[in-house]
Amino acid sequence: MSSSSVEEIPEMCKDLFTQDGVLLKMSNGRPNNDPNAVGMLCLVENPNGTKSIEWRPNDLITIDSDTQDQEWAVVNTIGRRQRTLSGNMTSDYASARARIIRIPLEELKFFRSSRDNIQIQFSSKQGVWQHTFHCQHGNAEAFIANLRNHVITAKTRRNRNTYMVVETNAEAQVLNKSFAELDIFSENTTDVVWNLVSNFTERPYATTMEAFSKLTDIVYYGNEVTHERRHREQPTPEDISDLTNALDENRIETRKSDEYEVVTIESILPPRPHIHRNSPLSTEKWDGLRDSEGRITEVDGVKQLIFRGGIAHTIRGVVWKYLLDYYPWNITYSGIKNLTKKKTQEYYSMKLQWRSMTAGQESRFSEYRDRKSLVEKDVNRTDRTHPFFAGDNNHNLVVLQDILMTYVMYNFDLGYVQGMSDILAPLLMLLVNEVDTFWCFVGFMEKISTNFDMDQAGMKQQLVNLQQLLTFTCPELAKHLDSKDSGNMYFCFRWLLVWFKREFSYPDIMRLWEVLWTGLPCRNFHLLICVAILDDQKDLLISKDYGFTEILKHVNELSMCLDIDRILSTAEGIYHQTISAPHLSDNIRLILGIPTVSRPDGEYPEPEQNTEAQNGTQTDGNVKSDEADLEEVMYQIGLDMNF
Amino acid sequence: MAKTYDCLFKLLLIGDSGVGKTSILFRFSEDAFNISFISTIGIDFKIRTIDLDGKKVKLQIWDTAGQERFRTITTAYYRGSMGIMLVYDVTNEKSFENIKNWIRNIEENASADVEKMILGNKCDLDAKRQVSKERGEQLAVEYQIKFVETSAKDSLNVEYAFYTLARDIKAKMEKKQEASNPPGGRSGAHQLKANEQQRKPTSWLSRCSVL
Repeated sequence: MSSSSVEEIPEMCKDLFTQDGVLLKMSNGRPNNDPNAVGMLCLVENPNGTKSIEWRPNDLITIDSDTQDQEWAVVNTIGRRQRTLSGNMTSDYASARARIIRIPLEELKFFRSSRDNIQIQFSSKQGVWQHTFHCQHGNAEAFIANLRNHVITAKTRRNRNTYMVVETNAEAQVLNKSFAELDIFSENTTDVVWNLVSNFTERPYATTMEAFSKLTDIVYYGNEVTHERRHREQPTPEDISDLTNALDENRIETRKSDEYEVVTIESILPPRPHIHRNSPLSTEKWDGLRDSEGRITEVDGVKQLIFRGGIAHTIRGVVWKYLLDYYPWNITYSGIKNLTKKKTQEYYSMKLQWRSMTAGQESRFSEYRDRKSLVEKDVNRTDRTHPFFAGDNNHNLVVLQDILMTYVMYNFDLGYVQGMSDILAPLLMLLVNEVDTFWCFVGFMEKISTNFDMDQAGMKQQLVNLQQLLTFTCPELAKHLDSKDSGNMYFCFRWLLVWFKREFSYPDIMRLWEVLWTGLPCRNFHLLICVAILDDQKDLLISKDYGFTEILKHVNELSMCLDIDRILSTAEGIYHQTISAPHLSDNIRLILGIPTVSRPDGEYPEPEQNTEAQNGTQTDGNVKSDEADLEEVMYQIGLDMNF
Repeated sequence: MAKTYDCLFKLLLIGDSGVGKTSILFRFSEDAFNISFISTIGIDFKIRTIDLDGKKVKLQIWDTAGQERFRTITTAYYRGSMGIMLVYDVTNEKSFENIKNWIRNIEENASADVEKMILGNKCDLDAKRQVSKERGEQLAVEYQIKFVETSAKDSLNVEYAFYTLARDIKAKMEKKQEASNPPGGRSGAHQLKANEQQRKPTSWLSRCSVL
């Protein structure tokens, strides 16, 4: 890299963890209404190795992509912080920079999250919460969990969600602690470590093995029970889980030597079951599932059938109305009539709101004008090669436009965002009726509204979750992507934004969507669809050593070349592999909406019972009820940190 | 893989949604125009290798989604860009006004010395024109950026625009090379002049790229 200006960089802080969509709260505790107070909460590592919590307002945020190929070595890349000194810095930028909030970890004394996971607070002295942040996505636990990898904490007695910082700079001390506290060596810890290091030079292999085997024993069998459990023949799944979690490695190999037994543990998943897809939900079956007045009582059963095989095209239009929450499942035939009447009136009154706008009004209503212009532009370029939308003066385009404009009036704050016309087009093609299509579209948007956030925090969160799922299920690919600066998964952006609409033909996307709308078998199954596609491409991406640009190109070019049935069964297979993996981490559980592990612990008996959590994997996207579990996990992570 | 080019330039197309970024790129890379384009979601790029003063220059041109909302994602791709085409639509006043915002966006996200050019696209649609050529020129003078009106549909000035930008990047690199290899420096270093560079194999091109 030939960059003459790089020397101006005053400091290069490394972002260790970032969380988007975090509002800075005013001291009175109410969320700040200033949109500039939306930003990103980060954990950063300073050049001197210390760490800080940092909140940056959104207008300051640039995305670190580090996308440089070697090919672009001649380019002068610019450091994120370098611009703060550059001559052409804008005043906005400077003022935004001034609004950064930094809390050095050394000064951090307490932190806590609210029970609903919306609020995070930090304090550097007892009794005062100096900094309060509001997580728009209710994912405060994610930040707290990450923060706790960097500091050693103790729970306070009074509040289970409040943590007291015992020691900062956890990593530096964890190793020391783990050796010292475990008391695996009879000598003084420091000496042992020193001897270990000096022995490396003399007999590196043996020294390494000796040290690791001792560590392995401890992690396997725990400190207190080392002797009684040492003779167990097989480690239990929990042991493997502990080991893999504790060492945070994908692969641990201990090779045979004269003295030590062979232990080869790869955190590989159980074998992938082959999942057969079933035939679609048929008209007969559907009719048979309705009672005499038309109600569907076996909702879970219907969803299972749809998840397994999709819906026959003949009844697709009807069933979609239920899946997209236009019709409640228990609605009767007469109820449908009333609902349709009511919803039709509602639709046309909203439509009238914009249809009756005069040219003069419009000229003084720039926000409306902007939305309208965006809609017009996109309608004219939505699936125009499909016969349904092809040709000049196509009436279906007018309907498409009318629905989108009415949606703008329905949800003016969200307005129109690119991608919505893609989402709407298949709905209109299937349902044809303008009113039905509108309300089904509303239901679909409800499911994916975070995709269209102003700050794109919802999208970024999904990309992060996808990366974590991939790391768990397909570590070698995750590693490859990471090594090619593609770990941010931005190349999957299009897949996620419009739920694969651009990747499949109309019949296939209809099948995929109806399966995903069931919410089965777990939350975020669409991310496992991404994983399934990538898993299929894994060998090629790795063997051809595709770099940043090739990965993007390859993924973009998969469009219309994907086999929907194969992907659906692969994704479900990966789901089963994942949930039955002995080392399934709570992070992955959270993403998939699976109840997290709560281990009995004598020291902290938990009165909260969790009947729902014990009922298996039926989660239907709701983990709120598992709050107690979540807390337990957070607590457990803390214990693990302390060994 | 055999290297089929001497030099790789990364370029970027930015501008409001619907101004014709993808059409301009399609015209340049495929020499074609399609009235029924789809909107760009996320990011894509196309490649075309051009001949510039006897050197094969591979242009890797990135096409981005225009809507404001996606800017946090698309700006990730600014870094490493050597040239940026700022595109507006001459039939859309707003897209012209927004050029200033796009320039600010570049200043905040791209490297400071990135080459820029302003394109007023859709100049074939004279009946619908809202922004005169003079206003475009005036803006360009104000920012000291080159400017040209284009029509992806009629294939007007698209080639010219990309060649001009590529040439400017090349010139800037040569200048930089000159500065870092002053005369009388290390043995074997040459002070290069624009008209000399074809005779000098050890010119800036040696720094240009790997592969």
